[in-house]
Amino acid sequence: MSATLERGINAFKEHLDAPIASFFSSCVHCGLCADACLFYTETGDPQYTPIHKLEPLRRVWEQEYTLWGLFKKAIGLARPLTDKDLEDWVPLLYNSCTLCGRCSMVCPVGNDLVYMIRKAREGMSASGNAPEGVKGAAKRTIEIGSPMGVRLPALKAQAKHVEKDTGLSVPFDQEGVEYLVMMSSMEIMNYPEYLEAIVRIFHQAGKSWTLSSEAFEATNAGIQIGSSDIARDIVSRIVTAAEKLKVKTVISPECGHAYTALRWEGANLIKRPFTFQVQHIIEVLDELREQGLLKTEGMEEEKLTFHDPCQLVRRGGVIQQPRNLMNLVASHFVEMNDSGKMNWCCGAGGGVSANEDADEIKMKAFNRKKEQLEELKVDGLVTACANCRIQLEEGMEEYEMELPVYGLTEMLAEHLVKDK
Amino acid sequence: MSTRKPSSSPAPGSVGEYLRAQGISRRGFLKFCTATASMMALSPAFVPRLVEALEKAPRPSVIWLSFQECTGCTESLTRSHAPTVEGLIFDAISLDYHHTLQAASGEAAELAREEAMKENWGKYVLVVDGSIPLGNPGFSTIAGISNVDMLMDTAKGAAAIVSVGTCAAYGGLPQADPNPTGAVSVQDLIKDKPIINVPGCPPIPVVITGVLAHFLAFGLPELDELNRPKVFYGQNIHDRCYRRPFYERGQFAETFDDEGAKKGWCLYKLGCKGPTTYNACATTKWNQGASFPIESGHGCLGCSEPRFWDGGSFYKALSVPTGDLGQTAGYALAAGGAVGIAAGLLARQKKAQAVKDHETVTVNDLHKGEHS
Repeated sequence: MSATLERGINAFKEHLDAPIASFFSSCVHCGLCADACLFYTETGDPQYTPIHKLEPLRRVWEQEYTLWGLFKKAIGLARPLTDKDLEDWVPLLYNSCTLCGRCSMVCPVGNDLVYMIRKAREGMSASGNAPEGVKGAAKRTIEIGSPMGVRLPALKAQAKHVEKDTGLSVPFDQEGVEYLVMMSSMEIMNYPEYLEAIVRIFHQAGKSWTLSSEAFEATNAGIQIGSSDIARDIVSRIVTAAEKLKVKTVISPECGHAYTALRWEGANLIKRPFTFQVQHIIEVLDELREQGLLKTEGMEEEKLTFHDPCQLVRRGGVIQQPRNLMNLVASHFVEMNDSGKMNWCCGAGGGVSANEDADEIKMKAFNRKKEQLEELKVDGLVTACANCRIQLEEGMEEYEMELPVYGLTEMLAEHLVKDK
Repeated sequence: MSTRKPSSSPAPGSVGEYLRAQGISRRGFLKFCTATASMMALSPAFVPRLVEALEKAPRPSVIWLSFQECTGCTESLTRSHAPTVEGLIFDAISLDYHHTLQAASGEAAELAREEAMKENWGKYVLVVDGSIPLGNPGFSTIAGISNVDMLMDTAKGAAAIVSVGTCAAYGGLPQADPNPTGAVSVQDLIKDKPIINVPGCPPIPVVITGVLAHFLAFGLPELDELNRPKVFYGQNIHDRCYRRPFYERGQFAETFDDEGAKKGWCLYKLGCKGPTTYNACATTKWNQGASFPIESGHGCLGCSEPRFWDGGSFYKALSVPTGDLGQTAGYALAAGGAVGIAAGLLARQKKAQAVKDHETVTVNDLHKGEHS
């Protein structure tokens, strides 16, 4: 089957719900969402005003579900949506939106704009109007198992390296353990330190955990492309594996949208509650700290700041935990402007990093982060999302800044009290 | 000139002296002045000024011209108030020409007019009742002189012109569609003299005398945009109507013999033009304050407004809601609600259909056109 305009419009109609109807009805056209959006502030181009990105969805709502719209359509005042319209909106709905949700925070009438963008992408993907890069990532996740094409042997090979370096074992498919640890391909390919850190921290804490050979990839390209069907498939794999292994908790890796997919969308996608709980690794680590199971020594002396991943702070409310952990190992920790729930996005979340068409604009968007960092004059930057980390590193290269970027988990692991 | 102390002896040849000679006591004169002042909505402080002004004012020469009219205005003025002080103040003016009232006729009468004009050139007051036919000057003549010629000739030496009655003021009944005589009003013809319109069919008598008194004492009264003295025409009949409370409560007489009519409810629906008519009827009333049309059970015809004959039926209401307002609103609410619910159900159905029509999207369905 192929994607058609009809399927796209049907998807819009299907996903238009009471919240969206009330959001569109209550929009007062104030334009405040524009100033909350990185892509508007860094380009000054009004087409990036978040509510404008939703025009196709709004038109379907008006023409299909409002009396006035039906009337306008009947007398030929309203132009029905065309495939060209949707094509024209690809740069707005995908390239220039990271689903960061900052616009939802500022809307004076409480419209959850990012919720609507997520729903609008359902119609875009069903009509074949998703960017090629994101389509490819979705296809690889379904067919190979990971958006970057990482297969199990690659993870196994990395596990072997970690076992050799630490002298500790990396468990696979252990039933009845407390934690099922998920990975993001970014961590398998670019940041092997993450897995090593997990091994050492859980060993010290004495917690049982495992990886799953059936489901190790936590990232969910179905969420990014905006297809509930594909997202459900990907989430189901993890649910099946977790329930088979009877774990208590599934840990989302340092990846923003993987956390959103599992923690917030997952149970709604499979339409039943999970038998396990979902936590971000940072939440787990802060719990261990509270329980006194995360014993560290020594402090980072350099001036460090923390970049809040949007999905963690705005969608997940995980704000205090990373700060507790930062203060555990960094003596000179400073906050960025707007840190916490109003933090500025790195510019590459929500599928933007997988989308080559967005390469140019995501670098423009990074300018905001660059200015924030220059203002602080820090020696290093810590974050808790591999995707943010890639964008931060690429951005600094582009703007010729020299600033090391660390993952919070690996930084904690480096300060673990050494075994006597 | 001191206005504080009214002089006790009127100036020779003045209105005051004439009234004394006619046996009107000073007390009676003061009563008249007080009544006139209150009628014209002047403050009590103006009474002595009015007294003084009238006592000193020379009796003005008045020339009264009657054109296309029914004599109703003259009847109104003379008959109903003949024995009163107002009637005497009317006598107090030197009415030098009035072809209905004067004994002389023909050339003698016209001679009187010409003499009065010559003697008082530039000072006499010209009172006109009736409209002037322009269709054919022969339609209305007096002593062989057409109305328009007589008016233009007489107006030349007038200090001011008072158009008494709706015909003189606005054209009135003669001008009613199709206006067979080509009737026009005084102000249509004369543009270079002060004109006071005292409309009404006929005007209230005391309004005529009040205007004359004001003119004698203080000069031209303040006029509205239709050149009517504001003191008499400043208020709406409806606003001053004693039946107004029934209007406010929505209690209307539907026919002239129904319960509402018997109970004295508002006559709006029977065509009363009170809401668009400006006159003193509801306050000053007629026949020495006995009553006015609405009090007698008939709606106002709007006779003091221009073109009142051509404003549709006297018995057609100005505007009436199509039905019971509350009921209409109720139906509208119900209809709106029904449309809303129908639209809601339609939307619900549409969404359910869209969910039903959902075809699962797989990674192989993400491309347009032919694709595996």
